[in-house]
Amino acid sequence: MVSTWKKNASWVGAIALASVIAACGGQTPEPQPEPEPEPQVQAEPEVDEAAEAAAREAEAARRAAEEEARRKAAERRRVESILSERVNFDFDRSDIRPDAEEILQRKVSVLREYPGIDLRIEGNCDERGSNEYNLALGQRRAEAVKRYLVSYGLEAGRFATISYGEERPLSRGHDEDAWAENRRDDFAMTSQGRLGSGD
Amino acid sequence: MLDTKTVTRLSRKAIALATAAVLVPSMGGAQEPERDSIPTDVRVGILYQPSFRPGIVMPRIEAPAELRELADSVRTIILRDLDFSDRLQVMPVGEDIPMEGPTNYGLWDEMGAVWLLVGVLEGRADAPVLRLSLHDVVFRLLQDVRAFDLPPIRHPDTRLTVHVAADQVVEWATSAPGMAATRVAYVARAPGGSEIYLVDSDGFGARRLTDDASIALSPAWSPSGDKLAYMSYRNGDPGIYEIDLAQRRSRLLVDLPGLDMTPGYSRDGTQLGFATTIEGRTEVHTYNLARDCCLKRITFARFSNSLSPTFSPDGRRIAFNSDRLGQLHIFTQDIEDGSAELLTPYIYDRSVHNAGPDWSPTGDRIAFHGWVAGVPEIFTVAPDGRGLRQLTQAGRNEDPSWAPDGRHIVFASSRSGTQGLWILDVVTGRIRRLIRGDEVRLPDWSGRLDSPSRFTDGAAAGANSNP
Repeated sequence: MVSTWKKNASWVGAIALASVIAACGGQTPEPQPEPEPEPQVQAEPEVDEAAEAAAREAEAARRAAEEEARRKAAERRRVESILSERVNFDFDRSDIRPDAEEILQRKVSVLREYPGIDLRIEGNCDERGSNEYNLALGQRRAEAVKRYLVSYGLEAGRFATISYGEERPLSRGHDEDAWAENRRDDFAMTSQGRLGSGD
Repeated sequence: MLDTKTVTRLSRKAIALATAAVLVPSMGGAQEPERDSIPTDVRVGILYQPSFRPGIVMPRIEAPAELRELADSVRTIILRDLDFSDRLQVMPVGEDIPMEGPTNYGLWDEMGAVWLLVGVLEGRADAPVLRLSLHDVVFRLLQDVRAFDLPPIRHPDTRLTVHVAADQVVEWATSAPGMAATRVAYVARAPGGSEIYLVDSDGFGARRLTDDASIALSPAWSPSGDKLAYMSYRNGDPGIYEIDLAQRRSRLLVDLPGLDMTPGYSRDGTQLGFATTIEGRTEVHTYNLARDCCLKRITFARFSNSLSPTFSPDGRRIAFNSDRLGQLHIFTQDIEDGSAELLTPYIYDRSVHNAGPDWSPTGDRIAFHGWVAGVPEIFTVAPDGRGLRQLTQAGRNEDPSWAPDGRHIVFASSRSGTQGLWILDVVTGRIRRLIRGDEVRLPDWSGRLDSPSRFTDGAAAGANSNP
């Protein structure tokens, strides 16, 4: 749309030039202010052609790059949001709940798509159990998810596990809602693979 | 070993009942609350009442002018220690009672005192000497006397040295030493997560020990009191570190893949028990510290966790925490033969949650916390599982640790609305607050620290030495 308008503008310039040449024949040379700006108008289209082409190309490339960056950013957001999505557990349990399985399935497909991505799985607990037992329980929660992911053919070496027990609560509350929120695995990307290299 | 001890105790009790006609309420035979407080030689009539505390008076300490202030603070420290020992009844005494001439036993007897503690402070400000003499008011004789060299005035070790003297007085009077010359290590919230702190047994001188700026947990004193093991995330991967308190150095002790947690020394200091991750779960291991070798796995329970080992005093058994039955329970196990025995009662209820075992230094009880309607309370039980006894009822009460006297327990509690560490005398049931603090937890009580020079740590140097 814009480029069509620009083409029209150079046509307008060419017509103006033709009428000036016609006006020069047989008439008293009156100093007129018009011709002076004309050469400028006349000179421009030629420079314009090349510059416009280059600009168009640069513009197209820029647009393409922008588009690509946008696409990559969107993809990155998608990957990050899928991979960072938390998985919750029942009280004093480390088995994978059905809702957690859905979340993990999304992770499996992303991790297959991006074999360079490594994850640290961080097990967490609510505040109710003993401090020390919760460290062990958090470790089991992290390991349970790792086992699940590995069972779908993902390489075990891509997953590190750590437990924070009840030391890193998301919610500081002391009710069932807070506890349910805090019984979770967090996920941190330790290697981004081609997601990080911009490939 | 334990059986003979119990038998001796029972027969002693039987004799007491027969000869002195003192009525002790029957506890079903398994529970002996007065187990370690029985002097062998004197006054049958009063000795078998667990809550009886013989009265003790301590008049003002005589001292030259330059030591006057020190003398007053020494007396304050000793009287508080005697009170906190829960074995003696500290009786108030006027400042103006004349102390010249021979000891006026009649005067003290009239007050109802059983013991008279006389202190004299001598020497110079750079080398004060505290001479303590304990008089038996009833039998009108000098029970014992000893001079204690104190550090120079305002030295950071002064308090610990005075605590040692107070423990000696308790031992003279009851034939069981006190537990004043001890410290409690604990965990408190700090920037970056949590750090390890220390506090004296009388609640004085709380100070931060670690500076890891990460998560530090589960402090455990070495039996000699000069080292302390704990778990830290300071290098990202959780490991067990050991701090040399005299050198103020720390070293990485255990760093296996996964979690390395819940360290605990054997009573002779040669073994370290801890839990580490094996195939995604946690198992108890020991490591020989004396020979710096020989990692040995102790527990074998598929699909479950075993953690928080605590050694019996003879070092042959451990008690630990495991969820192998689906519920969280305390187990005991012979280290050599390796079969675990359930210690806490199995109840068909998912909310059973027994944790944090600590084997008493006297060997006859194991303390732990267990849920009562979802709220943790402190319990003790004999190592054979008999005589289960609930010690607390108010608020949440967690992570008990025994004092070296085997009758006091420090634990984390939310009683009285705020979180803090509290000390409970299991014999009398008396409770006092050690320190107040949001999110203070996982206390571990040291052994007796009776050579103060070893325990000077830089952090204490700035603290003033007078109460």
